[in-house]
Amino acid sequence: MKRFTILMIAALAVTLPVAAQAQQIFDFLGQTLLPTGVGGSLTMYSVVNDPAPADTPLPLDFANFDYTLVIADLVLEVDASPQEYSGGTITIFEDAGTTADYALPGTFFDGTAILSGTFVYLDRTMFTATLGSAIGEVDWTGGTRVGDIAPQDQTGWPFFSGINALASQVVDGYDERWDGKVEPYEPIVPNETSSWGAVKTLY
Amino acid sequence: MRDMLSTRWILAVMMIVVCATVAFGQNPAIDYLGYGWETGGILPSEPGDVLVFTCTGVAADPVYGVDLGTDELTFYIYDQVSLGEVDIGGNNLMINYSGGYLEIWRDGAQNADWGTYPPNATSPGTFSDGVLFFKGEFTYLTIFVNPVGNGVYEGALNGLEGEILNDVCSDCAYTWGGSFLKGTGALIPDGYDLQIDGLFELDGAVSNEQSTWSDVKSLYSN
Repeated sequence: MKRFTILMIAALAVTLPVAAQAQQIFDFLGQTLLPTGVGGSLTMYSVVNDPAPADTPLPLDFANFDYTLVIADLVLEVDASPQEYSGGTITIFEDAGTTADYALPGTFFDGTAILSGTFVYLDRTMFTATLGSAIGEVDWTGGTRVGDIAPQDQTGWPFFSGINALASQVVDGYDERWDGKVEPYEPIVPNETSSWGAVKTLY
Repeated sequence: MRDMLSTRWILAVMMIVVCATVAFGQNPAIDYLGYGWETGGILPSEPGDVLVFTCTGVAADPVYGVDLGTDELTFYIYDQVSLGEVDIGGNNLMINYSGGYLEIWRDGAQNADWGTYPPNATSPGTFSDGVLFFKGEFTYLTIFVNPVGNGVYEGALNGLEGEILNDVCSDCAYTWGGSFLKGTGALIPDGYDLQIDGLFELDGAVSNEQSTWSDVKSLYSN
């Protein structure tokens, strides 16, 4: 019986897709509202673009749906260089109904929340008056697709964004343009490869 | 003569339609993703090191007239020569580069492939094939690096040749900017030093300007 089980596992490992070297990324381009001071909150509305030939960490249907990424309730704790934020949520929505419009923020958080999570931290640094970056870390905790990511792979996703505050880059009513991404440390795959020896050691 | 004027009106109105698509008050832009490498690696960036990027467009303003569902836009930045690192305080570094060119290629083959350990059989080759969409010469490129080794960059270009100059804007200024990550926290193909994410933009004087119907008519009223 044990030998049969090992053979079945080995056959499964050969049959299912093999993990490949891949670049996976949720790439976003958006507009940000900054807090007016310590205790205030940061909000960002953005559009998620198809990163082809790189992949998204989860398969997304860009031909039939729009995807938006929204950050809310990031609270400014330390107003220094870098600025330090705490709390905050990040959500990716899938929507076939309305086109995202910065004049109508509600168009960014309609549809289905396919992934939602929280920030472990976020720091914002400005190198010049108009040029900077934001770096943080995200834990995915909910959404209709969170189950597509193995529990051990749902936490600690790096978040990074370039920041530009030039008037030509910023939509009326907003403070900065953020162009960035959130991605896993390792490619998300439906199954993992293992050596024959490693499979045998399981038993 | 009357027919000629009508034709010119139609052309003028077509230009308005084409050029009035500056979304949300921003400059028309192309959003790109890519990877880069510098001779000898980065960091440090030693004087004389040469920086190269290969990227693909992931979204484009309609003014560029490109359907990324059928055409691929690829970016090839080369001959950027480092002038070395300068500490600007707070353990942040600034690196200026001299020279350098940006080429953007439009290609229906959709064959861009970074491969590993560039230059290789596919990079930069699959990022510099197709129809030349834009070629520009950098007037400056500056990189800012934080203590962790990540950062942002900004540069400007003079347009030299390509479809954009003929079809979109012949005398515009162009900017190239974005952010980058080193190996930590980014899925970077083996042999590349940086993952980059940014925008290419038409900036400043745009030769084709938005105008009302009355303004267009008044051009031909004398």
